[in-house]
Amino acid sequence: MAEVVVTRRWRYRTRSVALSFLDVFARLLPLDAGAGRFPGPDVILLLAFVWVLRRPDYVPALLVAVVVLMTDVLFLRPLGLWAACVVLGLEFLRSREAASRDLPFLLEWMMVTGVIVSMTLGYVITLALFAVDQPALGLTLIQMIMTILCYPLAVVFSGRILGLRKMAPGAVDQLGHRL
Amino acid sequence: MAQDRGSTDSYTRPIRRIFIGGLVLVLFALFLLWRIDSPRAERFRAMLVDRFVPSMDWALVPVTNAVDLVGDFQSYARIREQNQELRRELQQMRAWREAALQLEQENAKLLDLNKVRLDPKLTFVTGVVLADSGSPFRQSVLLNVGARDGIQDGWATTDGLGLVGRISGVGQTTSRVILLTDPGSRIPVTIQPTGQRGILAGDNSALPPVDFIEDTEQVRPGDRVVSSGDGGVFPAGLLVGQLVAGPDDRLRVRLAADYERLEFLRVLRSRPAEAIGAPGGLVGPDAIFPAAEGTDG
Repeated sequence: MAEVVVTRRWRYRTRSVALSFLDVFARLLPLDAGAGRFPGPDVILLLAFVWVLRRPDYVPALLVAVVVLMTDVLFLRPLGLWAACVVLGLEFLRSREAASRDLPFLLEWMMVTGVIVSMTLGYVITLALFAVDQPALGLTLIQMIMTILCYPLAVVFSGRILGLRKMAPGAVDQLGHRL
Repeated sequence: MAQDRGSTDSYTRPIRRIFIGGLVLVLFALFLLWRIDSPRAERFRAMLVDRFVPSMDWALVPVTNAVDLVGDFQSYARIREQNQELRRELQQMRAWREAALQLEQENAKLLDLNKVRLDPKLTFVTGVVLADSGSPFRQSVLLNVGARDGIQDGWATTDGLGLVGRISGVGQTTSRVILLTDPGSRIPVTIQPTGQRGILAGDNSALPPVDFIEDTEQVRPGDRVVSSGDGGVFPAGLLVGQLVAGPDDRLRVRLAADYERLEFLRVLRSRPAEAIGAPGGLVGPDAIFPAAEGTDG
């Protein structure tokens, strides 16, 4: 029984990393190198947030930190800062996970919106404090709004295709421990 | 772990807090390190990219080619129109070619008559585009040539026709080209035919603006923009594009390079110009006599 639980956990962890790799891969394809593209949603962030509010043990902080740090390196962002923001947001949501199990979806969405907005603001303000050259604020805001709007899509994708559902209050795992 | 609520919770929670706090601190320290010692951090980044991206090459190339193939199939639908169009263009090009050949001969004759000494011709290394920056905020591409092929930071890159960008970040087998549209790109340019100087500053749009033009009265949309070589880091006279008037009344450049299809890029080997450090020594008895003694004795 214990092996089943552990293998399932690792299967989902592998899946989250594989999906992140797929996203990085799709972005790196040299198809539209021209400027003026519309920034899409931050898929890795969305998956991490959706999963942490459903099964927090599937997205350990260290794993998310390493994956986001890797995207920092590849996408020419300042190293480490966005990863730190993501870990802080993730841990905030993780601490609210137990309380938000019977929350209606709209409230959950608003909570995630609040977290993403404060993460983006913190990121932009820190960069400004350290006098780092920044992309236009409008682009950053468009990406933030796209990420927030795509949250329900990520929830539907995780639920329907990966079978990741919210735990009921007082749910137990196969070993009988309270989740 | 988070799911072990209840008896073990009171033990694991403080440890977990410390772990998360430590993780965030480490990441923030990394950011500080990047801010303080940027060149070293960027070398580290180039090294990681060099290790990581070429290993995805086997998958990147087929997917890119497949998507391009679909695009090409769509253009087959209009193949007849395209054929007609190309024939017309070919006819015009023949006329231009004739004119260019005559001008080249004339130019060579005049240069010979004037005994003009030109720069030694630029040589180049051609690389294939492996990947782009992956982020809408930065405009850059990754080439499959690097320090192994003698690539150095700051060299200019063209697509055969127009300037594309400059090398910034060299790994062992890869190098990154910052495109002219990147917000961090600043290139000194000259606007022909009046010779006004300006700085081409990328701003994430397809048409980068030209700043610091001395006299905007003397330039007009349609003028040719070439690199000026000011500051000595960039070869002069590379075609950049054509001046256009943007919707916000700023002068912008329509780039000559085809940014939609960056496949093969030429990296121009440029040597820094020899610097003239001090004025020549005084010609006089002191300078001549020791030398003369030396030859006698």
